[in-house]
Order: sequence, then C-alpha cells, then structure tokens
Amino acid sequence: MRPSRIKAYFILHAKSYFRSRSAVFFQIAFPIILILLFGAIFSGSSYSPSALVIQNESPSAASWGVVTAINDSGLFKVQLIKQDVNLSQYINSNSVQAALLIPSNFTANLYSGGHGFVILEGHTNPTVASADYQTLNGILTQINFREGNTTQKLVLSSQLAIGNSGKTIDYYVPGLIGFTVLSTMFNMVYTVPNYRRERVFRQLSFSGLTKSEWIIANMIFSFIMLVISDVILVSLGIYVFGASLVLTAATILFSGLIIFGGLIFFTSVGILAGLVSDNEETVSVVGNLVMFPMMFLSGVFFPLSFAPHYVVTISKFLPLTYFINSLISVMDYGNISSVALQILWLMIGSVVLFGAAVYLFSWKQK
Amino acid sequence: MGDTVISVSNLVKSYSDLRAVDGISFSINRGEVFSLLGPNGAGKTTTVEILEGVRNRTSGEISVLGEDPERSRSLIFKVGILPQDFSFIYNSTPKEALEYYRDTLGASTDIREILDIVDLADKSSTPFQKLSGGQKQKLGLALSLVNDPEILFLDEPTSGLDPRARRNIWTVIKTLKERGKSILLTTHYLEEAELLADRVAIMNKGKIIDSGAPMEIVERHHENDKLVIRGDGEVESIVRAGGFQVQRDGAYIKVSLKNIKDATEIINYLYERKAKFDDFTLKRESLEDVFIRMVGEIEEDEAE
Repeated sequence: MRPSRIKAYFILHAKSYFRSRSAVFFQIAFPIILILLFGAIFSGSSYSPSALVIQNESPSAASWGVVTAINDSGLFKVQLIKQDVNLSQYINSNSVQAALLIPSNFTANLYSGGHGFVILEGHTNPTVASADYQTLNGILTQINFREGNTTQKLVLSSQLAIGNSGKTIDYYVPGLIGFTVLSTMFNMVYTVPNYRRERVFRQLSFSGLTKSEWIIANMIFSFIMLVISDVILVSLGIYVFGASLVLTAATILFSGLIIFGGLIFFTSVGILAGLVSDNEETVSVVGNLVMFPMMFLSGVFFPLSFAPHYVVTISKFLPLTYFINSLISVMDYGNISSVALQILWLMIGSVVLFGAAVYLFSWKQK
Repeated sequence: MGDTVISVSNLVKSYSDLRAVDGISFSINRGEVFSLLGPNGAGKTTTVEILEGVRNRTSGEISVLGEDPERSRSLIFKVGILPQDFSFIYNSTPKEALEYYRDTLGASTDIREILDIVDLADKSSTPFQKLSGGQKQKLGLALSLVNDPEILFLDEPTSGLDPRARRNIWTVIKTLKERGKSILLTTHYLEEAELLADRVAIMNKGKIIDSGAPMEIVERHHENDKLVIRGDGEVESIVRAGGFQVQRDGAYIKVSLKNIKDATEIINYLYERKAKFDDFTLKRESLEDVFIRMVGEIEEDEAE
C-alpha cells in the first residue's frame, strides 16, 4: 500500500466530487436543510409524558404520598406493580420504558432524618429518560416545598444516562449525524456497481491503484466531509436552535471515534451491497432495501420511544440504531462509560466488514 | 529472442463449454506494431486482456517483457493500456486524469507534452462526460502514454468513431510507431491494420488462421485482381477475343486477371488494335477482400 497513490486518488476524487452539485447537495446541504426543518418545528418542544411503572417496596404514608403526587400531576400514566415482582425482569419482558422503584429503606431513611431515594430505571431511550427525569424531579421538589423541607429530602436517583435539557433538537442532532454517516453507505451502494459497469475500476487498476487503496482514499475523503457537515449540524443545533449538547474534549473525541467507526462500518456495508448489484435496477432495489429500513426505523427522523413496539423490536436488528444511541449518550448526556462496549463492538464490526469488503471486492472482470 | 517483447504459446481461455481463445501462439518484436485482426467474438479482446493481466488464462505460456502478467504486479508500470470501451470518472478533466496517472505510476512525464501528442490540449479542462467520442479515446490513449511505456496495448482504439476522429487516432499511433513503441493493436477495421501494422494475425473463433505482413497475407490468398478500363463495346469485344473474363459496369469494363502481368498484355493489345479507351486502373485485392473470403463478412453489430 502506497500513501502517494491514496493521496493521488483522494485529490482526483475530491476535484470530481466538488464538480458534482448533487453529491455536494446530499452530503452538505441536505442534512443542513433537515436540521433547519426539524429545528424550526421541534426546537421549543419537549416530550409528552409517558407511562410510568411504580413498585413501592416501602409502603408508608410518605411513599404513598409520593405515588399519589406523581399520579395527581397528570404527567404520567401510573401503573403499580406488586412488591414480589422482579422489577428488572418485568422491565425487560414488557419493554417498559420508565419504571420508578421506591426501595424498601425509603421510609426508614426519611423518618430517621436522612434522604428518601427513589430510583428511575428501565428506559431504552435516553432522551425520553431525560424528559421523565426532569418531570419526576420537579414533582419531588414540589413535595419537598409542600412539606416545608428546607433541604431536598426526596432524591431521585437514576440508573439511566440522564441528559440535561430533554429538548427534541438534542435528539435530532445525533440522529442527523447518523444520517450523514449513512449517506456514505448510500454513495458506495451506487458507486461500486456504477464504476464496475462503466469499467472505471478497470481503468483505475491500470493506474497502479489497488482496491484497498481505493477504499481507504474514499474513506478518508468521506471522513473529512463528515467532519465538515457534522460540525455545521452541531453548530446550527446549538447556536440556532439552542440544543444542549455536552461538548467536552472527551465527548468530542468519543463522538469522532463513533463517527469514524460508523463510517468504516457503513462504507464497508455499502461496498458489499454494491457487489451484489449488476445493473441499474438491482442497484436501486439493493440500495433502497439497505437504506430505507435504517433511515426510518433506527431513530434518525423520530424518537423510537414514539414508535410502536414492533418498530422498536426491528430497530434492535439495525446497526444504525446502536450508532445513533451511542452518539446520543455521548453528545446529549456525556455518558461515555455506558456506551464503551457498544463502541468496542462497532469497532470490531467495522474491522471485520472492512476486511470482508477488501477481500470480496475485485478489480478483475468476471 | 532478445528483441521479443511479447510471446504467446498455446494460449487457451475457456468459459465452461466455450473456448474463447483456442491454442494461439505468436510473438511481438520490439518496435513492432502487431495487429490482431478479426470479427467481433474472435477472441482478440480476451487475448489482449490476458496479456494485460486483467483476465486469467486457462492454459498456455505467456510472457510480457519477460514477466507473467498474471503474477507480476510491477508490469502495470511498464506497459500502457487503452482498453476497449474506455471510460473514466465522469467529472474528471483530462488534465486531472493525467496528473493522477502520473502520480500513481510514479512517472515524471510532462502532461502538456502528452496532451499535445494526442491533440487534446484545448480540452484539458473539460469534464470527461462533455468530451466527444474521439476526444475520450484520445484521453485513453494519453493515459496509456503517461509512464512512457515499452509496450502499448490498444484494444479497438477507433471503434465507433467517425472517419475524421479515426484518422486523428491513426496519426497519433503512427507518431508512437515512429518513436519506437511496441504496439499490440486489435481491430476489426481492415484498413486500420493494413495502414498501421507491420504484421497482422487474423483470428477467427479463437484461432489464428494466418499471420504475417499485410501484403504477404494478400499475396498468399489473393485470387481476383482486376483491370478496370473505361471504354465502349469495341474495347469489350477486343478484350473478350483475347480470352479474358469481362464484366461491364456502366461506362467501365472489369477484366479478371489470373496473373497481374496480364494487365500489361491487355493494354498493349488494345494499343496495337487502336481501340479507343479513355482510362484504365489496376485494382488489386486488399487485405479486406482476402479477410472477408477467409472469415466471412464482418457483422458490425455482433457482440464481442
């Protein structure tokens, strides 16, 4: 592998790319249009209250007072479950998005002058969790004031990645970054069969370029384009629509890592999908077959918490879901540790798929 | 053998039941223009692509500059290739394409000089998709020259071009020939092979059916030279009386010759008898006439 050849193709590709108005439009302008559109529609909104499962392990006047206050607020549809039910199993088997546990030591702690902890768990979507957290915290604060407590006696603890604003725009910024990464796959699904059919690959092979050099040059170019378009998206989200993103050196680094891993992953998938397309009709079928489920069922354009149960189930089989959820956790909540394993899997998947793409991709005529 | 740049021995390429190339052998000397001539589907392109390293052979021995193209990756840096149906990235300009080739092949070529050789300097900044068919072929030819190659593979370089564009490409190939390049040229244009090639090999159905200098092949296979005379019925009668086969074609009569020397005899005979004729032409068989007799009519639309 020769860096000089990668550089030469990179330059050729870049010049050709910027001459193509449609390519620039879809890479840069289209995501900007989307964020302007979604930002204008959703920038002031928060999520509607969701169903809340409550398990009270410490029955007392104080604990029931909390349950009643939550129920009376009208902000949650409260569903009580018995003490002997295993809450974690119940959450998993019923896909519960929000559950509040009032632990067995709640009353004793409160009456002994300490803090009464309640625990929120069970969410699959951190953005909705953030909204619920804010709402619940508000209710608990009101109870504190009502009881004349000078300090916050009732404390809400969470086992979730809890964000800081709960605005819808916070959700759309990582979602649209997911869209820009997905577009690199879209490029490959169309470029690979097109270049093969038009015999551009054959001509490139005569220039001494190898297939892995071609793939790497494309990935480097796509990564630079992604950084440009994603910086614009984040800037618009923050400065135009007031998105509250956690931007520290660590979250920026990890966001970049997730985007880079996603780029390799989805570009490789695009190459592999492009290899099975022989003509324009199959290119279109394969392209749409791969693209559209991920675009609409992975949470790019709407939160999965709003989606029916079966859509949530399908989304678990789509890699873009994990990519977007990882970005949401890091960018919206600064929660790196909870997605470390997902990032690791993303990297492993990227390496495996990249290897498969290089191995199966051939310059030679069949 | 020191001057042999390409050698092919018993080359076979099979696709299930089809033998696209069926045990052919030939060699090309340094500085020579060698043409594979044949109808579509004869196996020319398959042969060239095997020599370029684009396809793998089924059996046989091949050597290009002493290397096996199937195994040698370095060969691509020593040869120039203009493939059939040349195409490039649609939005790239000739200048960008040439600069890219120069950088990837590690050459130090002057891009402007190459653009001048192929007469494409005024289109150097035009995107590929806006070039005409002839200009695209010229770009393909230009790319094949970037690394100053020892051997050029030109596969149907003028296919589909109008006569003017075709002649422009011929001029470029003649220039390359004068510069001492070894060229393997495939074509189904007989005129092209006759004009440009030092030697030709006629291929049909995967086999070489004859090879040699174009004139040698004509000499070997010609049957029907003609003397064409513009004259009246009296001229026709005199020639017929001499025992020759005559065919009238408007104001002309065509006399079939068994021997080229008979032409002199007929003209002298007409002078002796004071026959009135205005003009005469000796029409020898061309490579095309011989080729058509050997392999049949070329069907332009036949798939390769």
